[in-house]
Amino acid sequence: MLSRQDNELITRTGPGTPMGEYLRRYWVPALLTRELPEPDCPPVRVKIMSEELVAFRDSNGSVGLVDNYCPHRRASLFFGRNEECGIRCVYHGWKFDINGDCVDMPSEPAESNFKDKVKIKAYPARDWGGFIWAYMGPAELMPELPEVGYAFVPESHRRVSRRLQENNFVQGIEGGIDSSHISYLHFGLPPVRRDDPANKTLSNRDGAPHFTVKTTDYGFVYGANREAEDDKYYWRLTPFMLPFFTIIPGGTGNPDERTYSGHGWVPSDDENCWMFTYSWNASRSLREDEGHSASFLELEPRTMRSVVNKDNDYGIDREVQRTQTFTGIKDISVQDASIQESMGPICDRTREHLGTSDAPIIAMRRIFLKACRDIMEGEEPEVPRSGSTFRVRSVAEVLDKSVTFDETTERVPVGA
Amino acid sequence: MLTREENEQVTRVSAGTPMGEALRRYWLPALIRHELPEPDCTPVRLRMLGEDLVAFRDTNGEIGVLDEQCPHRLASLWLGRNEEAGLRCVYHGWKFDVHGNCVEQMNEPVNFKDKIRVKSYPAVEMGDVIWVYMGPADKKPPLPNFEYTRVPETHRGVTKVIQECNWLQALEGGIDSSHAPILHRQLKEGVGAEGIQPSTPFVRGGAPTLEVDVTDYGYRYTGIRPLGEDEQYVRGYHFIMPFTQLRPQQIGRAGAPNREMVAGHHWVPMDDHNVMVWNFHYSFGSESMSEKERTMEGTANGWPNVDPVTFRAVGNIRNDWLINREVQRTETFTGITGINAQDRAVQESMGTIVDRSREHLGPADSAVIAMRKLVMEAARNVAEGEDPRGSRSTTYYTARAIEKVFDAERPWREVLLPEMYPEDVPTAG
Repeated sequence: MLSRQDNELITRTGPGTPMGEYLRRYWVPALLTRELPEPDCPPVRVKIMSEELVAFRDSNGSVGLVDNYCPHRRASLFFGRNEECGIRCVYHGWKFDINGDCVDMPSEPAESNFKDKVKIKAYPARDWGGFIWAYMGPAELMPELPEVGYAFVPESHRRVSRRLQENNFVQGIEGGIDSSHISYLHFGLPPVRRDDPANKTLSNRDGAPHFTVKTTDYGFVYGANREAEDDKYYWRLTPFMLPFFTIIPGGTGNPDERTYSGHGWVPSDDENCWMFTYSWNASRSLREDEGHSASFLELEPRTMRSVVNKDNDYGIDREVQRTQTFTGIKDISVQDASIQESMGPICDRTREHLGTSDAPIIAMRRIFLKACRDIMEGEEPEVPRSGSTFRVRSVAEVLDKSVTFDETTERVPVGA
Repeated sequence: MLTREENEQVTRVSAGTPMGEALRRYWLPALIRHELPEPDCTPVRLRMLGEDLVAFRDTNGEIGVLDEQCPHRLASLWLGRNEEAGLRCVYHGWKFDVHGNCVEQMNEPVNFKDKIRVKSYPAVEMGDVIWVYMGPADKKPPLPNFEYTRVPETHRGVTKVIQECNWLQALEGGIDSSHAPILHRQLKEGVGAEGIQPSTPFVRGGAPTLEVDVTDYGYRYTGIRPLGEDEQYVRGYHFIMPFTQLRPQQIGRAGAPNREMVAGHHWVPMDDHNVMVWNFHYSFGSESMSEKERTMEGTANGWPNVDPVTFRAVGNIRNDWLINREVQRTETFTGITGINAQDRAVQESMGTIVDRSREHLGPADSAVIAMRKLVMEAARNVAEGEDPRGSRSTTYYTARAIEKVFDAERPWREVLLPEMYPEDVPTAG
């Protein structure tokens, strides 16, 4: 449970809010590289942390991320012309480069130096791992780009996507770091029962695992062990990478040859978020149908919501719910959206009742609240500044019972 | 006219508001039986008095009405599984029975289900209607035993429709007798789908005099219209606290024979800006009703002019109630098809909460004024720890609305009251 004030604190991310300032100290995914496929291609609108922006790839292939509104008379640059190393407002022809400098002002007399005095808000942007990342914070605090696994593989080895979800980003994260729901929300029938010996699959066998959380330099890792055969435990460890990324534990097997997937939840505004999804395999190309199911959803072209959404009750089929699956909703990713959006745009956490299985959620909120308080008190919050901190992956392995939780967490950093 | 403060008080219905607390002291109609047709059927979302709820019929056939949000992480229980005598959240498998007890917590290794409850309200089925009581347990009123829920199923029809305005102005529209032969008038005999023909005593009669007798359950009231030199047309209604009207439906229109029928509405607040309008009519005689009458097919409040799942009307405020100006010029007073659609149009057109500080009431509005007095009195009573009017009453159980044309000399009470109360006549005052 959170107080009303703390709930406000961690969910509001507009400019000037404590949580917004904290998130602006990280590189955050803003859109997909393939949305700006080539130099001088059409610009793309994108709203991040309540700021309306326009992204464009200039003639040199560099990405600009600027205010949606032209500083002259506030027309939208989305309608602009992307040409000759800059985006030009179609209203009066003012033109801006990726740094936000006004490089042409044809509506003013040639002798005027007005253009040298005009700048548009512009944020540094980088192509990295199939995403275009933005840094929206103070220049002197810019960290290194996070060295995420999918940034070090060829394009054929990864699959990325984004889609809009109609709820606050914290609800998205909370759904992502809540492992106990997978035994229910995403399962078929009959539902998992803890004490039912008929449950054969590894994560099915114990629907009520104990969660342990360990704080790390990248955020934290949490894990649960379920009873497996031959006096072993089935371990699943999920790293939570600040400020809002996860890597989902997949199937067991050689950790270097596995396909991993994860999400990041980037606030669009306080009541909507972008769910970014990445899947990658370090050892081989992905098959055409391989990757997280979220990357295969059909999206509405303009809103980028799933076409199956809250306006059509997520296509819930009560007969399927009765006889085949727990929810009657088709896709895992839509199941997540349905449940997270059903809490309302900003969940009222003064009314919730958390149990032991919610330990990772509590750990995440603690980090966020501490960072917010630091910022309010004028202190610099703790932010991992080195990119290599983010060289991690999830763990899914059957291990001897003698292996402790602490020992399993050493398998999270890549190369360990 | 009401002051701005009074208008606020009488229209706001959330928990903790004076009117909201008063309304929570009555049984409230919530669902039509077909919405929860059988054990373990699909749960239904429900918005009542500003609260989002979910209703389900469990394996034993019992009805549960719970907070829509699961107390764990507030996911909607509407997405849930209705199985094995409880509603189970699909997020982590927490399960609740009809009383709101948490009976299972699938995801927790150490259960704390005995400490968890979800808000729940008692429900009761009467006839085709499922009622909910949202007030303090020790103040639960006698059952809402309206005559229409006691007659055989073949003798009644019940529908409901969402209206996009505050409950009070919808209720005011219902108990306002003087508008009916105007708003609902047909310009010529036999035109338009529904309407009141110029030949009826309703239209032929002069402007009505309204008389109101306050009773323990609310009041009875009459619209008295002179009919030529020697006769009068008197319609006797009931207003039953806090939002029910019974109106007579005996005199046949357009040459149709007389019937032994009564009609009525409940106006149940969904929140401050939306009201669920319930429509019912029934035969209290031996004659049953046709299927078409029972579903109110073709009327603006019947299926399919109202969606029987969402309860949204086809003609609504967003499409100007499908007004046809040519029909308005030549056939009906409004150009809107259907009596109930005409009511919805004028009531929604006032804005979601009408500003009663700007209105001008006349003697024809005396039933409206009397009703406001009673509901405001009820809010005061509850705030002062007393029972509101009607919350203990059973006298309305046998009340009927009656209309008659009779000798202008005879007092209406002598003619109508014996039939308006086939059993005992409650004292007025």
